[in-house]
Amino acid sequence: MKKTVKTMVLFGLALLQLEGFADYDSTYNPASHAAFVIDQANVDLGLGQGVFKGWVQVEDGRITAVGAGDAKIPDGFKQIDASGQWLTPGIIDVHSHLGDYPSPSYRAHSDGNEATSPVTAEVWAEHSVWPQDPQFPLALAGGVTTLQVLPGSANLFGGRSVVLKNVWSRTVQGMKFPGAPYGLKMACGENPKRVYGSKSRSPSTRMGNFAGYRKAWIDAQEYQKKWQAYDKALEDYEAWKSASDGTDYKARPSPPKRDLKMETLVGVLEGEILVHNHCYRADEMAQIIDLSKEFGYQVTAFHHAVEAYKIGDLLAANNTCSAMWADWWQFKLESFDGVKENVAMVEAAGACAIVHSDSATGIQRLNQEAAKAMAAGARLGLAVDPSIALTWITKNAAQALGVLAQTGTIEVGKMADLVLWSDEPMSVYARAETVFIDGVTHFDRRAGIAPITDFEIGQREEIF
Amino acid sequence: MMKRILLIGLGFIGSLAAADEYWLTNAKLATGPDGIGVIRDIHVKNGRIEALGQGLKVGLPAKVIDLKAALVTPGFIDSATTIGLAEVSGLGVSQDGEVADDDMAAGFRVGLALNDASVLIPVASNDGITRGVVVPEPGDSNFAGISALVRFQRGEGFIVSDALAQHLYLREWDRRHAGGSRASALASVVHALEESARFDQQRRDFNSRKYRAFEMSAADLQALSEVRTGRMKLVAHVDRAADIRHLIAALEDFPEIRLVLAGATEAWKVSKLLAAKDIPVLLSIMNNLPENFDRLGARLDHATLLDADGVQFAFMSGSPYSEFRSLSQAAGVAVAYGLSWTTAIAAITRSPAQIWGLEDLGVIEPGAIADLVIWDGDPLEVTSAPTAVMIDGAWVDLSTRHKALAERYRDLLDLK
Repeated sequence: MKKTVKTMVLFGLALLQLEGFADYDSTYNPASHAAFVIDQANVDLGLGQGVFKGWVQVEDGRITAVGAGDAKIPDGFKQIDASGQWLTPGIIDVHSHLGDYPSPSYRAHSDGNEATSPVTAEVWAEHSVWPQDPQFPLALAGGVTTLQVLPGSANLFGGRSVVLKNVWSRTVQGMKFPGAPYGLKMACGENPKRVYGSKSRSPSTRMGNFAGYRKAWIDAQEYQKKWQAYDKALEDYEAWKSASDGTDYKARPSPPKRDLKMETLVGVLEGEILVHNHCYRADEMAQIIDLSKEFGYQVTAFHHAVEAYKIGDLLAANNTCSAMWADWWQFKLESFDGVKENVAMVEAAGACAIVHSDSATGIQRLNQEAAKAMAAGARLGLAVDPSIALTWITKNAAQALGVLAQTGTIEVGKMADLVLWSDEPMSVYARAETVFIDGVTHFDRRAGIAPITDFEIGQREEIF
Repeated sequence: MMKRILLIGLGFIGSLAAADEYWLTNAKLATGPDGIGVIRDIHVKNGRIEALGQGLKVGLPAKVIDLKAALVTPGFIDSATTIGLAEVSGLGVSQDGEVADDDMAAGFRVGLALNDASVLIPVASNDGITRGVVVPEPGDSNFAGISALVRFQRGEGFIVSDALAQHLYLREWDRRHAGGSRASALASVVHALEESARFDQQRRDFNSRKYRAFEMSAADLQALSEVRTGRMKLVAHVDRAADIRHLIAALEDFPEIRLVLAGATEAWKVSKLLAAKDIPVLLSIMNNLPENFDRLGARLDHATLLDADGVQFAFMSGSPYSEFRSLSQAAGVAVAYGLSWTTAIAAITRSPAQIWGLEDLGVIEPGAIADLVIWDGDPLEVTSAPTAVMIDGAWVDLSTRHKALAERYRDLLDLK
């Protein structure tokens, strides 16, 4: 807990002040490890600045020094010879359903979509996460150290996301990224209108979707006002009480009844919860940006932004990230205009580009997906340096999750979330050989270190 | 073409475009009779490789293309695709890949449902895939019907054969067919094959009093007869090791059946049996999730294990969303997990050609069909792409709707 508090102070992350937030906190506490220096590696810091031969020093879970050339190994530090290997920040997936849609994927395990009402901002993805999902270690073997688990896209407001460290734990609290802000999952387009339209309920159209968003935000504004009025009344009461000589009487104001749905929406309006909006089509993203302006909030990232390439200028101007697949398309009408050049075109427009997975297989190969997108851009005349492509799955992803101050790049003071690759990370042949989370080795292919989930015990232990 | 027509034997064969004559000089061969990486000239004529050698006598200068040591592979073959079945797979308007409301769909030919003008077709050739197998999906029957062989060139000639192989589904979620238990499903498979034998016997007596009615249609019985007598291969989609063993045992009474396994997540657990019985396997190599209890043995090094035990295998694309865009990526991942590069290339060229009985595809040899791909890098790298693709000796138009869209917005937003 000490480390968590220190983190918060260090990086200025405000604790959410809404009532009830003290519960469900992260209990993640990294194991201790011997201090070490990774030496002779081809280092890509994740800053988009290329690769150099160098070293990274790690103490007590943090990166404490970085340099080019040969390392000087301080006394008492372990030396890790990474000759012929590539060192990058840990890979971050901003869009995952691991734990919510685990393997095995039976209905009994299907916990990602509370598809019973179009507005379920009151549900929290973490309450569905099964920490023994064997998909977590598979993602770890792909170099993924941090991931955001989101509710599904059946609803206009799907609920709260959670940012996890990809560590084996008995509880989801033991995986929660200390101090990471919550996200709110919203969804555009086909999914909500299909789910509710088929039940003869609103929304059944895209205009119904928008009416639903606006009504919910209006309700949230009302709720926010109620609490503001209460806070003011309480303040007045406290002022009166301290000034009172005890001869008169004034009743202490009682707080409005808590509404979990509204708490999440107000968290967005107050800038404490980040909006992650599933939205494929360019025209709908433009309208969502208008919606955000109407109610005064920021869309942090559009997810599945298959048509982001059509509005890169608008996305850049609004400081909104796009989380994209390299080449998924055609599986629904709103994905029909998906192009492989999408990610590189968003980058070229000066907007924040992210490659995400939304897939328990895709999350194992985010480096390859970034490589595909990079190569497609080059063929369109938009050359992208491999180091820039790496930021799509590291730095930019950390930014969208609100954890860039702690992870996502290799910089002094940050969490030692690191991956050693067997080859250039943009190669199909590259395998994550060693994965460190907060300086602790959670995966080492050669040493045979890998977490085994409870589900795998006794029936799948030999496979990783 | 006569050889293949005879080989396939059934259904119709799509017409093939009239081919031109080319000399592709200084081609670096990814596979060939003289080994890997050798530089050769390729003479293409009448849709086939006429000759392969060094310093071949060339014809008209206009027909000579100096490849300057660019890598050339045979066209890749995807052993499971849905291209041609629907422009947008999730729309729900198209059920063309399966037969519903029928106890038996063995006679269903998916080839007759295909759209040869699909905008998806050139997306496959842009990934170096020249041929694909369109596989029927199970509707209400364990036998799903007959797959089609297509070539990824739009227009007439897209469908090469609508009678490639029979497909049988016995995965965990297919159990609902045939009584709900996998035991009853297997029993119904054996029963259907036996009925096809009675059908063959009684066909002659169809109008006589000896004739006893069949539960299945004549088309289904005919299709199963082709399978039972070995004239058409049987592709069984099955995952669990125990189910693979049970299927092989159940089919022992039908020695002429030529069995192929597809998916086959736990084939590595029975690899010695498969090698001994000469049963090849089609793999979705990147799907390594233990998605259900039949798939607990899912693993990324599956191909490497099968290869070590001498089991023949080919890769199929298998990611439901990007599909055909991931075939060479799968082969690359297999290499990262221990397979040799040469074997991985073979698993998307020569091996699928052999498994599907298309012996003149998947190789660069004199007499082979001229399906050739010229690459800008290592074809298994996700950053590589073809610079030119030839199918049946003719260059393929690689323009796509996607490229046109990307170019439109690159120019509109003035992206550089």
